[in-house]
Amino acid sequence: MLLEARNVAKAFGDFRAVAGADLAVEQGEIVGLIGPNGAGKSTFFNCLAGDTLPTTGRILFDGADLTHASPEAHARAGIGRTFQVPTTFDDMSVLANVMVGAFLRHPHRNDAREHARRIVELTGLRADQPARSLGTPGRKRLEIARVLASGPRLLLLDESLAGLTPGELQEAIALVRRIHQMGVTIVIVEHIMEVIMTLTRRVLVFNQGRVIASGSPEQVVRDEAVIEAYLGRGARRQRSE
Amino acid sequence: MRKLLAQPASAQRLSVCLLAVALVLYPLVFSDAFYRDVGVTFLLAAISASAWNIVGGYAGQVSVGHSMFFGLGAYVPLLFYTLWGWPTVAGIPVGILLSVGLAVIIGLPTFRLSGHYFSMATIAVAELIRIFVGTWPLVGGAIGLQGPAMARGWWDLTFRGDLPYYYIFLAVLALVLATTFMLERRRFGYYLRAIKSSARAARSLGVPVRRVKLQALALSAAFTSAAGSLYGVKTGFIDPDSGFGILVSVQMVIFAALGGAGTLFGPLVGALILVPLQTAANTWFGGGGSGATFVIYGGIIVLIARFEPGGLFDLWRRLAPLLRRRAHAA
Repeated sequence: MLLEARNVAKAFGDFRAVAGADLAVEQGEIVGLIGPNGAGKSTFFNCLAGDTLPTTGRILFDGADLTHASPEAHARAGIGRTFQVPTTFDDMSVLANVMVGAFLRHPHRNDAREHARRIVELTGLRADQPARSLGTPGRKRLEIARVLASGPRLLLLDESLAGLTPGELQEAIALVRRIHQMGVTIVIVEHIMEVIMTLTRRVLVFNQGRVIASGSPEQVVRDEAVIEAYLGRGARRQRSE
Repeated sequence: MRKLLAQPASAQRLSVCLLAVALVLYPLVFSDAFYRDVGVTFLLAAISASAWNIVGGYAGQVSVGHSMFFGLGAYVPLLFYTLWGWPTVAGIPVGILLSVGLAVIIGLPTFRLSGHYFSMATIAVAELIRIFVGTWPLVGGAIGLQGPAMARGWWDLTFRGDLPYYYIFLAVLALVLATTFMLERRRFGYYLRAIKSSARAARSLGVPVRRVKLQALALSAAFTSAAGSLYGVKTGFIDPDSGFGILVSVQMVIFAALGGAGTLFGPLVGALILVPLQTAANTWFGGGGSGATFVIYGGIIVLIARFEPGGLFDLWRRLAPLLRRRAHAA
């Protein structure tokens, strides 16, 4: 088991954003994480990446306990992540952005630049373009390139494919596939069902801080609890009539 | 010339060479004591602003309390002389070590704060030190300390004219800039700029943010302390206000911000513009000149904040391609 989250909970005051969630990811998988807005996916994600300290529960990565480790320790261990709102280094070029990631495993500048150049090419970005001049799709792509350069074994993608045009979406799906083929295990939070359907074999559905269903994407979209979570009780009644 | 303008890299190299030559020749061409004094003042301002730039500009941690390091650097050599009659030059490395120590002590808690809170914390600490030093008789209290009136040897760094100071200061400025240049190109430099942009994203990529910030502050403190020492031994006098006063910190911030914080030559350019301006204001307005300085600083802060947050370097970076295109068209 590459990643194992056991009974993870995170409370903000009285509000339990994540209320005892479990997740186990095997090496080489692509796992989807879906759920309505406010279901606690991003908070759960932040717990996995070390950005948020869980109130209870444990997170194991490759056997090591990372529950209380810092975000930089997570990165060193091999957990990479993107952000729901892209946070690129805007004062730097695309290449320099990717180099910051590459420096984690390549401390010398020339090695880091060499490695970063390959990643930039792979992701179809332009190395000398200022990050500031990129639009949202470009920034999301740059985030993926940057984290990829840091050599993760597990990649946590937080809605990295949202807000793309259909053409861009196909390219992005192909990119995620390529990253997966490079041997990177992926957990992906996404609202777009097309992405989930094409990329993942296994999906977990979040609602109110809990995993309410899991299985193949086809099974999950037919699950009564899932339909209810997304559409409310009325939808279920209508369907059965 | 047109060819040079077409290649930004070589144009930049040329202007750096020209600047270096101009700085070396300046006191020989302008041998008048007044002009040499302006030159020395400029160099000192450029050193401290460039030192501030490492943590304030590149890492974006805007300290408004760098006078704590400057003052420490200025006090220790004169304290060595006053207390034990030791050579002032021996106080410089000690001042640097103490400043680095202070930087670590200050940095550990304050780097948990971000943005304005960090700036305010640094102001508070510097002001506390200023007030404390002003009430401590051992270090001269409110009156301050004096250096040796006559040099007992070179090790007192007490010279008659400004010329020796000028070249010592120039060498230190070169050292600060060379160090910054080297750091800028290494992993450390990339990490600093990443932290400035988004500490959260930097951490997610494995950047040990707190350690990098602390290293930057320590290095910045070391150079700022050296600048303070140079000021102390050159002036031969230091008091709480000229060492730890808030104006000392504000000057570093303004010089760097005007030229371009987070750029190699930004602080130098800022000092190149503001030091002559300040001198002119002092000359024109006489005793009331120091008040005029505040007014000018205030005006500059407003202008930078409103129109050019990136400073003159950023403005140049945007204008240069346009000028180049015009040169091509002509």
